[in-house]
Amino acid sequence: MIKDSVTDPLVAEAPPLLELSGIRAAYGSIEVLHGVDLVVPQGSVVALLGPNGAGKTTALNVACGLIQPTAGKVIIAGRDVTGAKPEDLARRGVITIPEGKGVFPNLTVRENLQMATYSGRKLADIEAMVYERFPRLGERRKQLAGTMSGGEQQMLALGRGLASDPALLFLDELSMGLAPLVVEELYGIVAQIARSGVSVLVVEQFARTVLGVADRAAIMVGGRVRRVGAPAEIEEELSAAYLGG
Amino acid sequence: MNENHERIEAFQSEIDSMKLKAAGAENEARLLILGIVLAVAGIGLAVLTAVQIGNQDDVVKQTTLLGTGSFLGIALVIAGAALFVRFSMARHLRFWLIRLVHESRANTDRIVAAIEGRSGPDQPN
Repeated sequence: MIKDSVTDPLVAEAPPLLELSGIRAAYGSIEVLHGVDLVVPQGSVVALLGPNGAGKTTALNVACGLIQPTAGKVIIAGRDVTGAKPEDLARRGVITIPEGKGVFPNLTVRENLQMATYSGRKLADIEAMVYERFPRLGERRKQLAGTMSGGEQQMLALGRGLASDPALLFLDELSMGLAPLVVEELYGIVAQIARSGVSVLVVEQFARTVLGVADRAAIMVGGRVRRVGAPAEIEEELSAAYLGG
Repeated sequence: MNENHERIEAFQSEIDSMKLKAAGAENEARLLILGIVLAVAGIGLAVLTAVQIGNQDDVVKQTTLLGTGSFLGIALVIAGAALFVRFSMARHLRFWLIRLVHESRANTDRIVAAIEGRSGPDQPN
């Protein structure tokens, strides 16, 4: 455990920075979200857990504007932003680290960070911030991203996301394909990010490690949020959710 | 919880300043239905005008009906069909694109897994 997972009363009282209300979404005629309600309070880490095909990534894509819902509302910082373009949200600080290693494998670490300069920040500032938080990336600044380990690639994806100065950070399957020690290290970094005031929504399938840094957790099954609560309570119900209980 | 109040306030004001259009999916569905309605109304108007022309002996009145009814009806059918094709194709192509992206990602994952399988599992440094 990286941090005591008992819900912080301040988080429980904090106003929501993200609110999904009655979200329905479909791919063509196939509906995959059947009325999802989820709240991410300011400055908190919320873990969205569930088995494969539960609709977690779709819910995340709806929240960041990549998929338009067929019904329901996406409310960010108290404003209904349903239908907003993902690039407009990203420019304002709604940052998504997608599933898989979201880096350009044929570019160097430095060139990958250069891609974050679209937000208007100077490369030197971005490099200073990222290398301070991830010293290992500083050592590999001239190395091709595709030749680094999975954990380092995820650090690079996280660093590039942080370069855009996020207020709301979405992480999709951060632990995918990584060794447990690397996952624990990455979630330690996520905890640091959350402590700096960034609200984080983490989608995970298997990693219970995320419960160690989360203030609140939700279980999603079959396109619906089945249960929301403190991580300790949710951990007990996880196995039942995966086994279809 | 540590809060960065300045950042959150700046974020809130930036979100407030966003200009938003109505939800794209709703607009598309409305325009698709409008296309069908226009095409059906156009066909109805053209058929009605054709019947009226058939009942008219006066060539001047026939020409007027032809101009106002038939041509307007045909124009409505063309506009309605164009709207219908545009938005039903958009929906179909979007679904097709999502499927392509999904298949491409699955293929990449398989290739990466195969390469990692040959070179050993991911090791923490």
